Amino acid sequence: MNIYKINNNKFKSIYISYNFTQEVSDTKIFSSYAVLASLMAKSSKKYTTQKDIEKYLNSLYGANFDVNIEKFGDLYNLEFRVEFVNKKFIPSKEELLEKVLLFLREMIYNPADWTQDILDRERDFILQRINERKDEKLKYGIQRAEELLCKGEPFGTYLYGEKDVVEKLEVYDINGAYNRLINNSLTVIISGNLDGYDNIENDVEKIFKQYDRNPNSKIENLKYNIKKQENYKYEEVKEIQDTTQSVLSLGLRIKECTPKDFYVLNVYNAILGTTPSSKLFQNVREKESLAYTVRSRYYRFKDIIVIYAGINKENYSKALEVIKMQLEDMRKGNITDIEFKSARDSLLADLLEWKDSKVAMAKMKLSNLIAFKDADISIDQMREEIKNVKIEDVTEVANKIEIEKVFLLGGEIDE
Amino acid sequence: MNKIAVMNSQELGESTFTTTLPDGLEVYICKKQGFSKKIGMFGTKYGSVDNDFIDINTNKRTKVPDGIAHFLEHKLFEKEGANALDLFSKMGVSSNAYTSFDQTVYFFETSEKFDESIEMLVKLIKEPYFTDENVQKEQGIIGQEISMYDDDPNFMVYFNALRAMYNQNPVKIDIAGTIESISHITKELLYTCYNTFYSPQNMFFIVVGDVDVEHTINLIEENLKKYENKNLPKNKIQKFRTEEEKKIAQKEIVQKMDIYLPQLCIGYKLDLAEGKEILKNEIIVNIISDMYFSKQSDFFEKEYNSGKVNDSIDMQYEGSDSFSHVIISTLSTKIDEVEKDILEYIEKIKNMPVDDEMFNIIKKKKIGEAILSSDNLNVSYRRIIDSILNKTDVYYQIEVLKGITKEDIRNFLNKLTIDNQVSSKIISK
Repeated sequence: MNIYKINNNKFKSIYISYNFTQEVSDTKIFSSYAVLASLMAKSSKKYTTQKDIEKYLNSLYGANFDVNIEKFGDLYNLEFRVEFVNKKFIPSKEELLEKVLLFLREMIYNPADWTQDILDRERDFILQRINERKDEKLKYGIQRAEELLCKGEPFGTYLYGEKDVVEKLEVYDINGAYNRLINNSLTVIISGNLDGYDNIENDVEKIFKQYDRNPNSKIENLKYNIKKQENYKYEEVKEIQDTTQSVLSLGLRIKECTPKDFYVLNVYNAILGTTPSSKLFQNVREKESLAYTVRSRYYRFKDIIVIYAGINKENYSKALEVIKMQLEDMRKGNITDIEFKSARDSLLADLLEWKDSKVAMAKMKLSNLIAFKDADISIDQMREEIKNVKIEDVTEVANKIEIEKVFLLGGEIDE
Repeated sequence: MNKIAVMNSQELGESTFTTTLPDGLEVYICKKQGFSKKIGMFGTKYGSVDNDFIDINTNKRTKVPDGIAHFLEHKLFEKEGANALDLFSKMGVSSNAYTSFDQTVYFFETSEKFDESIEMLVKLIKEPYFTDENVQKEQGIIGQEISMYDDDPNFMVYFNALRAMYNQNPVKIDIAGTIESISHITKELLYTCYNTFYSPQNMFFIVVGDVDVEHTINLIEENLKKYENKNLPKNKIQKFRTEEEKKIAQKEIVQKMDIYLPQLCIGYKLDLAEGKEILKNEIIVNIISDMYFSKQSDFFEKEYNSGKVNDSIDMQYEGSDSFSHVIISTLSTKIDEVEKDILEYIEKIKNMPVDDEMFNIIKKKKIGEAILSSDNLNVSYRRIIDSILNKTDVYYQIEVLKGITKEDIRNFLNKLTIDNQVSSKIISK
């Protein structure tokens, strides 16, 4: 197991993120792991119900515990996380660390004996997650663009899995998933106010080390970007829904991308569509009044960008045309100094503000480990890299980016 | 030199400094040592429910179209055609604004451009620029915002609950108004609202972050001085509240939408509370929510195991000088059964003794929660805004929390009666 610490005394609490990470050989595992994570969040042998868990956490001054599933590109990550107050700030100075670590160990390594009844209940829970996907239109539009770009790749699989697979899961499958899970690559990140906890990594190791089944596995050796060539083609997809507004989402592919392009692509994406000074906001929203929401999102692990906008259906062609013009302007280098500078400054400010969040710092460390194979890159170094990006670099990268997928979730209600 | 008062919270290890500038503006600075981010907010105690008042220039009673406070927010956060979000963004600063029932707040977040951001924020609020043309253009943009909310089941289920509870109270109207109501907004009406509610004595300035207190106060004061000659009349603001009967408007509102998972809001309309009592009610309801509806409760366990509820059941209190109610919300594919269970359960717990062990654990949790949340700067400004609107000390909430008794819980539960209860549901088509 690899343990990393991020200390900052401005916080009053400590956050521990315990990550099991794996490469995905069969996307069916999304279904069994979604159910497994849900089961593990709700009971163990000692804490047999959600009620027991909550009660115990509340007695630890409202410590938070959560099991989170997530994709880092094509990697699957199952994270157990806890957050608790540093004893310095507790009126009675009660020490919580050991209790919290033992609790975490109990939840991870002493799971309940799952029966078919319990499994059925959690299966329904995950089926609901799958069925309610379309209730949030914008989010659904974004996910569809991701799926079209990465069909058949783990990243292009819905996080909660597939209905048919979930419906057929049995206790045997869940036990199998658990046994694979605890053999995954293990990374622990401790972030927060570590004042008074100089050797916290030893405390963690003492309690967990003997449980690590795969101590030599390192997250930085896992492959996070699988590319299926058959997805590299232009496609337009429309879906009908009974809403007043429509969602337009575009999937963009970045060709021949190298890890070094990361900083340039961040600047590209900020100029294109993450700030109110961006081309999309200024042209699609402010100048043409075509959308209230319009943004772009860059995916560092998958070399893709998704643009999304909430529009009126009759504006579909116009919106698409205006968006295409922005991409063309980026390629031609029609980027003003102000556009460039405000994009860069907003990225620099965002990076500084990451420092104000224990969780964001932990996530940044994990992401850098996976993508850069380096946990030691500091926020200040990343800021320097951003400062070194030039307009020419952005134009160069812009010429490697093409729209590949166009998705419309079309509203049918007339106003 | 302005006289600066300081309020401390031992529990949170945090201090808030406050002063009133000579023109009447209240300034609050919450010092957060070590944080990079600095938040600056300029706000007014004026929101969507204030649609009937004395025009401060003509001294005549005026009724304005629904949604005008929100419309004014949009127009004020703009300078000669340029969007304020963009002006801040050009400095690498993020900014935003919001309008609620009883407040309108403009804010920025920055780590390195603090002084310039204060200057920009003051300039925007102090230099309104409304033209017939830009008012017309905004009607289109806000129209899109309104349609976006119309598709949002979370938003609709909540507003329908307010519509069911209230008969005349403007709280039942969308904060953004309707496409029809905003079509009546003119630049003259915007100036009327601005002149009446954006005078210093009705406004507040909040800063949260690792800043020098005196420097910040001077900075705000100096920037405001530039606009001294524009200072607005300081007459007392007079608002008229629509008489609202105790009775609910409608027992139930059910709306169909193209969604999978139905949503439920149960509302209980209550007698108006004021100031400190509002804050106390909020805390009592938070504790009730944790004790009786959270994952720690028998009720949630029963609902979960029977497959009726997957997500949480939340209960919250909302109060101001014109409304007071409790809302219980959840999602479920068996919404009618859940509604029935909750209503029966409320009646049952009214007569049950409050469990000692549970009550003490939840109070312990609440203290820990307050400490944990102080790692988040947004919690600090929300606390300050609450204290301004309810006229209490900034850290009054923590004091109240320590003093809540089991009696308070019992008494509050008994205010939730079937007569003042409503239901709002969003179901699938």
